[in-house]
Amino acid sequence: MKFLQPLGSYFILMGRVLSKPEKGKIYYQQTVKEIVSLGINSIGIVIIISIFMGAVITLQTRYNLENPLIPTYLIGLTARDTMLLEFSSTIVGLILAGKVGSNIASEIGHMRITEQIDALEIMGVNSASYLILPKIIATVLFNPILTLISMFMGVFGGWAISVATGALTSSDYIYGIQYWFVPFYITYSLIKTVVFAIIITSVPAFFGYHVSGGALEVGRASTKGVVASSILILLFNVILTQLLLAK
Amino acid sequence: MITIRNIRKSFNKETVLNDISVDFDEGKTNLVIGQSGSGKTVLVKCIIGLFEVDEGEIFYHNRDIVRMTLRERQALRREMGKLFQGGALFDSLTVEENVRFPLDMFTSMTAGEKRKQVDFCLDHVRLDTAHKLFPAELSGGMQKRAAIARAIVQNPRYLFCDEPNSGLDPITAIVIDKLISEITHEFNMTTIINTHDMNSVMEIGEKVVFIHKGIKQWEGNSEGVLTSDNEYLNDFVFASNLTKKIKEKL
Repeated sequence: MKFLQPLGSYFILMGRVLSKPEKGKIYYQQTVKEIVSLGINSIGIVIIISIFMGAVITLQTRYNLENPLIPTYLIGLTARDTMLLEFSSTIVGLILAGKVGSNIASEIGHMRITEQIDALEIMGVNSASYLILPKIIATVLFNPILTLISMFMGVFGGWAISVATGALTSSDYIYGIQYWFVPFYITYSLIKTVVFAIIITSVPAFFGYHVSGGALEVGRASTKGVVASSILILLFNVILTQLLLAK
Repeated sequence: MITIRNIRKSFNKETVLNDISVDFDEGKTNLVIGQSGSGKTVLVKCIIGLFEVDEGEIFYHNRDIVRMTLRERQALRREMGKLFQGGALFDSLTVEENVRFPLDMFTSMTAGEKRKQVDFCLDHVRLDTAHKLFPAELSGGMQKRAAIARAIVQNPRYLFCDEPNSGLDPITAIVIDKLISEITHEFNMTTIINTHDMNSVMEIGEKVVFIHKGIKQWEGNSEGVLTSDNEYLNDFVFASNLTKKIKEKL
């Protein structure tokens, strides 16, 4: 039953995070800063990874569908659906768990060991809410945009590699990505992204907030935060897929 | 005035504070002294409410922090200032922003009023040219002074200082001590300083409380420290060869 203790601590912390902010204006400014730090600064890596993943998915599908009975435009369809259903939400979520999660855990952990969090508490500031809530709001607002960017860039990457290598024609690819399009896949992906955004920020923040010791413990908290949030993303991916796509 | 009554605190069945009762006087510098590990820091953290006590009462002018809700504690803490051992300045903010932070958070002052208050506090701690510097660009003494400015910016009734002289050279240490004493008298604050520096005790110790292994062994003033017959206090005060020689001459 000992595993329930951190779970309980996590929900107590979230209770404090979600309590009424002391001053809305300050929280708004913090949220804008976090959107830049956690969201806008992640656009580059999301674009690069999505283009390459879209290209690789297209090439692999082409390689595995060497059959005259299967129309080549299905390669475009496969690339599109892979990006929409799985890659742009889950894989990008995992990548951001590494990039953003370690950043959050180490930042908050450093503030803990250097008594900056105690200083906030002494001033009468709800440190949990001040430090964590703007990060959650920022990622919940901005990660869906990252997901949409990833979807677009992944599909673009697939098209670019098709044209560049002659794997299939541009018109076949474009026909494929329009064929049997299910708009709900985008909604499904965005719902997952929002849940993953909460996990990516709150779980590493929890580990960072409860650090005690020195730099070594901050490093450990950062690793634990990334591992735990990655596992939770995969778990919630299964749960949400069953809830949203099962017939 | 801060009054504590019969405080007990344990960690994992190990008693760190054992039945401590003290009155910390208003408008005075109250020093809590003792060896490393004697329980000084835990005592101050209990007084502030960062640690929950197992037993006992802590009154801030008749308001018992032990029985307050989190919201009530947060409100009370706006009457406190604290100088942390390492300064605890926010790394990402400049000195000016650090000092202004409590004003931004809790007051509806105009930008001009805030600037005036920040300038007043930084002038007070002789840091009038460091507004735009980040904590990493400051020396240890300057960091302590900036932290003092932040601690007093809201005119607190209670000031807590944790090892204000640690890591400072003797001259800077005296400057910081005198600054704390000066501020305490000027603003009539109840100041509690947690230290093991005997220079501080002799310079600014208007009231001194000695703790040994979690038990209050002695209380008095800086002069009484030298003439006390408490065995533990004598061991602590006259630990070095220099102080032993001074005692022989007394």
